[in-house]
Amino acid sequence: MLEQVHWIPLIPLLASLAILFGGKEGPHSKMPLLGVAAMGWCLLQSSWILFHALTGRYALPYYHTIPWFSYGDYVMTLGVLIDGPAVVMLFVVTLVSFLVQLYSLGYMHGDPRLKRYYAFLSFFTAAMLGLVVSSNLFVFFACWELVGVSSYLLIGFWFEKPGPAYASKKAFITTKLGDLGFFIGLMILYTQAGTLDLSMLAERAKLGIEYLPLEVATAVGICFLIGAAGKSAQVPLFIWLPDAMEGPTPVSALIHAATMVAAGIYLVARTYFIYDAAPLAMGAVAWVGLFTALLAATMAVVAYDIKRVLAFSTISQLGYMMLGLGVYGYTAGLFHLTTHAFFKALLFLGAGSVIHAVHTNDMREMGGLSKRMPATFLTMAIGTLAISGFPFLSGWYSKEAILHAVYLHNPMMWLVALGTAGLTTFYMFRLVYLTFLGQSRDHHRWDHAHESPPVMTVPLWTLAALSIGSGFLLEHEGLFAKLVSFESGHGGGHEAAHAPVWLGAAAVAVFAAGLAAAHRLYGRGDLSLAKSLRERFALAADALEARYYFDDFFLWLVSLSDRLAAAMHWFDDQIVDAIFVDGWALVTRAVAEAHRFFDDFVVDGAVDGVGAVTRDGGGVLHRLVRGQVQEYLMYVALAMCLFTIILTTR
Amino acid sequence: MGILSVVIFSPLIAAIALLFLPKEKTSWIRGVGVAGTAVSCIASVFAFLAFDPGTTQMTSLSIQLTEKLVWIPTFNIHYYLGVDGLSLPLVILTTFLCLLAAIYSCGIELRVKEFFFWYLILEVGMVGVFCALDLFLFYMFWEITLVPMYFLIGVWGGPKKEYAAIKFFLFTLFGSVFMLLGILAVYFASEPNSFDMIELMRYSGTWSREFQIIVFLGFYLGFAIKVPAFPFHTWLPLAHVEAPTPVSVILAAVLLKMGTYGLLRVSYGILPLGFEWFLPAFVLIAFINIVYGALCAMAQTDMKKMVAYSSINHMGYCMLGIAAVSATGFNGAMLQMINHGIITGALFMFVGVIYDRAHTRDIGAFGGLGAKLPVYAALMSLACFASLGLPGLSGFVSEFLCFLGAFKAWKLYTILSVSGLLVTAAFFLRMLQKVFLGPFNEKWAGLRDMNARELISVVPLCVLMVLFGVWPSFLIDIMNPTMTVFAGMFPGLFQGLR
Repeated sequence: MLEQVHWIPLIPLLASLAILFGGKEGPHSKMPLLGVAAMGWCLLQSSWILFHALTGRYALPYYHTIPWFSYGDYVMTLGVLIDGPAVVMLFVVTLVSFLVQLYSLGYMHGDPRLKRYYAFLSFFTAAMLGLVVSSNLFVFFACWELVGVSSYLLIGFWFEKPGPAYASKKAFITTKLGDLGFFIGLMILYTQAGTLDLSMLAERAKLGIEYLPLEVATAVGICFLIGAAGKSAQVPLFIWLPDAMEGPTPVSALIHAATMVAAGIYLVARTYFIYDAAPLAMGAVAWVGLFTALLAATMAVVAYDIKRVLAFSTISQLGYMMLGLGVYGYTAGLFHLTTHAFFKALLFLGAGSVIHAVHTNDMREMGGLSKRMPATFLTMAIGTLAISGFPFLSGWYSKEAILHAVYLHNPMMWLVALGTAGLTTFYMFRLVYLTFLGQSRDHHRWDHAHESPPVMTVPLWTLAALSIGSGFLLEHEGLFAKLVSFESGHGGGHEAAHAPVWLGAAAVAVFAAGLAAAHRLYGRGDLSLAKSLRERFALAADALEARYYFDDFFLWLVSLSDRLAAAMHWFDDQIVDAIFVDGWALVTRAVAEAHRFFDDFVVDGAVDGVGAVTRDGGGVLHRLVRGQVQEYLMYVALAMCLFTIILTTR
Repeated sequence: MGILSVVIFSPLIAAIALLFLPKEKTSWIRGVGVAGTAVSCIASVFAFLAFDPGTTQMTSLSIQLTEKLVWIPTFNIHYYLGVDGLSLPLVILTTFLCLLAAIYSCGIELRVKEFFFWYLILEVGMVGVFCALDLFLFYMFWEITLVPMYFLIGVWGGPKKEYAAIKFFLFTLFGSVFMLLGILAVYFASEPNSFDMIELMRYSGTWSREFQIIVFLGFYLGFAIKVPAFPFHTWLPLAHVEAPTPVSVILAAVLLKMGTYGLLRVSYGILPLGFEWFLPAFVLIAFINIVYGALCAMAQTDMKKMVAYSSINHMGYCMLGIAAVSATGFNGAMLQMINHGIITGALFMFVGVIYDRAHTRDIGAFGGLGAKLPVYAALMSLACFASLGLPGLSGFVSEFLCFLGAFKAWKLYTILSVSGLLVTAAFFLRMLQKVFLGPFNEKWAGLRDMNARELISVVPLCVLMVLFGVWPSFLIDIMNPTMTVFAGMFPGLFQGLR
């Protein structure tokens, strides 16, 4: 099965093409089933590989390449590099994709462009899986861009609405800005190391060969971090992710929560040997992660759009993963990536179920929905407990691991991270209270709300089970660490060291505090206290609602570049062009003078025609239109004659 | 007669045949015109099959399919044709695009006979430029392209066609006059006097640096105007906008490549010292082309003008690749030439399709067309994404190689040029959003999706975009040996870059 691993990205790709070009479009198209079946197969194969890898029956890493194209004497390869993290990612991506495709059968039911939706979804999965398995950073980058374009297509799926049309563009351009960093990093790395093959690079790093000087490694690390910040929505490039919620909710669950946005984390993990050799770049990863985690958590506190709360939460949790990686917690960071994929996909799909029922995203128009949709409520509650770090659920294990690593690295950072964990609990329970508990605030919507069909709730329960159990299963006997670990070449690996026992207690205390605060503000059915707090801290709340004005900053940048473009165009039209036009006019004038001279003295008086017209029209070129093209052809002929004369007289 | 002569002169034969057809028989005329380009295209495929790309271990350029006849013995002028990995891909690109644009031209109703006549003559000149290995012959073909282009823009163009045509004509003529002087200079500097381009490459070691610099500048004017390199580019937006669709296609896809081809074959190959001297300025110009071209494109409201400025940007990538003077950069530049031909050729056709229906190219005039014209929207989006360098489509690999090659030699300029990629993405996506996305503009309820003629001429290009994007080897294997040998031809020079 491992030898056939290249089929895991190829099957969804073929399925995507088959869905796109085959069958008939329409709300009752049968083509989506093909996509689901393809994902089912990929899930089986990935599970098989994961199982065998966990039980130690496969010798990892598995590496296989074929030549793709060559330039000079360098051969660019296409290939797979399957190590522990790749195995885990394969499983996560195929599982969530499968569940989301299943769920979409219900959610997208009746959409007139169902076939197209499934083609795009399958294409996304193919690109994402390609990114996961690729052995070469160039191919990794190619897939990286392809997941970006699938995200563009899916955010803008309902393109007739102005919101999605704008959001899709914003997402593409913002991530592209980060991609430029990635691109530059690739050029630096290639120029210095002479290859982009991950296996070869890691090999050299392991042997301790000085293949990358410190400053080059730092530069590459920072450049890759910029790329990762774009894709994984880190500060300051996170601005696209909240808007990306304009896409269909299953898409948000799959792409903008569980898989694609984790690609940046995965990039840092894949090139971890570079960061390991460059402490400065590693530090940057940690700080970017910490800031992102904190800022996004505060923004989630004031949002009322259920999907945006989850989007901010995603950003914050991605920051957590970054932070984990940045403090040498390689295993912890990727562990959190895995558990987060389960509970965040669950939360998004749950939110989708709610939106499907009440047809609004605004939590102020919800409330009391637990009575109407118990399955959705229960699974959402499980997801909330998991993300908040309720003991023995999956999020608790991974968050503990990160906090542990952070504490050993820098206790001040730990304090901020801990506070963020409290905020997470707060805003997640706020979401649950506003949506499911208390009294209904919009009776019309409440009356029409209904539980979703099984095709949607089965994925919810599956993910709920994983949100509960995956942490324990993977932590159990150090299974995950066995599969995903990094041997630092420069020390710094704190993971084995022991931290004080009270760390865990502090985390539980913060959880309790967050829950209590949420209960106090939103648990009693009236929101007056929340409102009065909002008024008292209006300035801060405004800043949070405006996302710390990052959007305004980028909009300003856009308008600046627009003005620059307009100025350039003016310069091109009025200055550059004029120089040449007038230059030509001068030349023509001179020629016209010569004509006159020639005519006056040789042809005697036959001057009135072409020469005069051209001479008088000296100012601007468009007068020249009246000059005859024959005249210029004559120049060519003259030149040829001159040429012949020169040749023959030699 | 060799296969290359067939490629060059079958359009000429068709053009002569046209003269004997009455001008009312438009369908006959179209048939003969398309047939002429088709024969040329098929012949070029045979040339491709007969071509052996060689290996990267070759010690000299392997010129193949040569035809050499004494033409004017007094001046040692030969009818000398031949191709290598540098010219053959361009020959095939030319004949292929000429065929597709000829099919597209069947929509032209005005003075059909003259149109196809000039069109076929144009093809003769373009193919000839890429095949000629004698500088005199090269110059002759170069000038042949000028007159048909003048008439094609001036007669069948848009509202400002005369101005655009004369401007194009004067600019290029200005350049070629200096090129002629350059040709004379190298002719007289060689002993025995020769126009043989392959022969002249061997003289570069004996010529002084000053001589090479001066002659380089003469040639550079000719080539830079064609590319077009800043600041000689201002004829291009106007000519593109005014020219009828098929002519814009040819102009962008093929004519510009004559400039970059000349830069590689003549400026670099024959005058390496001059090239080396000019290189720092050249890379600066490449950078300006990339960023300035992209910014100007972003400021456009006319779709066709936007695509025209994006050509300036994309030719900047070619120049950047050339400035690398390495196998990587040269391969990237060559790939970019071909891919730009395919992608921008397609983009001009797409703009033509919408203009034929709506009679406007104003980006802001549309909206929501994606729902009404799904085929058109999908194909045009594909071409736009190819143009902005999406992986899996052909532009990606070539841009990457251009940058990768250039980075080794010119770090700062390359890093700054990367911003051009972002701007390119920005203006294409903005155009897509305004034209295809958002609420449908009811004004265009009567628009029809693409017809068979348009699909036949544009779908092959879209297929090639995907094909060369997924498997670039199809293309790069033809050129890589030549490019590798070419880049290593002057081991003593360009030391600072390696």
